[in-house]
Amino acid sequence: MRVIKHYRIHLGTLAWILHRLSGLALIFYMLIHLWVIHHLIVGEKSFDGVMEFLSTPLFKFLEIGLIGVIMYHLFNGLRVILIDMGVMVEKQKMLFGFTVVVWLAAWLWVSTVMVMRFGGLPFI
Amino acid sequence: MATITFKINRFNPDDERRGHFMQKYQVEAKKGDTILDCLNRIKWKQDGSLTFRRSCRSGICGSCAMTIDGVNNLACEVQVMALKRDTITVEPLRGYTVIKDLVVSLDPLVKGMLKVKPYMITKTPPPTDQERLQSPEEREKLDGLYECILCGSCTSSCPSFWADKEYIGPHAFLKAYRFVADTRDEAPREHLEPLDDKHGLWRCHTIFNCVEACPKDLNPTKAISELKKALVNDKF
Repeated sequence: MRVIKHYRIHLGTLAWILHRLSGLALIFYMLIHLWVIHHLIVGEKSFDGVMEFLSTPLFKFLEIGLIGVIMYHLFNGLRVILIDMGVMVEKQKMLFGFTVVVWLAAWLWVSTVMVMRFGGLPFI
Repeated sequence: MATITFKINRFNPDDERRGHFMQKYQVEAKKGDTILDCLNRIKWKQDGSLTFRRSCRSGICGSCAMTIDGVNNLACEVQVMALKRDTITVEPLRGYTVIKDLVVSLDPLVKGMLKVKPYMITKTPPPTDQERLQSPEEREKLDGLYECILCGSCTSSCPSFWADKEYIGPHAFLKAYRFVADTRDEAPREHLEPLDDKHGLWRCHTIFNCVEACPKDLNPTKAISELKKALVNDKF
């Protein structure tokens, strides 16, 4: 039947694909998170063990990425709500621009706090 | 004058085994030539078996909508030189079943359209001595809604439609809002209710492909957000 499997990607498509991917990543994270906290009922020892494993620099680094994914999903979700409310529908590209700026600024700010307070990066 | 290579996605239902394939044609094009002009030249001078729909060649009938270099547009409205390419890919609208070459079945388009009752519904008899009148301000609300030529470009570009063939489609949402926004229409609910469905309004993921695709520069997503507001206000 059909063979055409491609269509040019516009800004709106990109926003949507990233939203879907970040959503899937968050579901995946939730599963891991549940696995981690299930150690609480297994016992103190196993929880300490898993927490020690998660305190390695690699996971600190991944946490910064996680915050970025959460924040993209958050701010793009707000953008979609605004569009559904009829705000800036005709200027959706500009709205996506704002979203990206706010997202990156918030991500930068939170990751700076994480690095300063908790030593998130392995080389600091 | 320049020689442009056209890569056209072809399909012959009588030769199903061959399936879809790309065929190349060389066409001499000059400034001002549209894609449709070149397709006509191919059909008339090179290969009479090339099949596509066309009628008015002035962007008002909506017959020649196709995917040109990966974007939906009307072949009669895209100028070859404006694309600034040596090779131009022309494919049938995606998402619809291909009947032959560039001709697709627009049944889903019509089906979605009929669901939203695309006509004015009135309950009271018209004034005896005059038509149903509108003020210029009321009429202005319909700008950007009534111009749709039903070419199918928007729905064909919509990922929600690719995933759900029952999806009513942005073209029908735009038409539904055209009547919901019309002050003469006396039963907006009858246009709104079919949209409150799992194949309806809520399947729009605000991807904006329909807005990018519309050859008439209309904004179905704006109509969708207005309809969502109308539905939510109606319910709560």
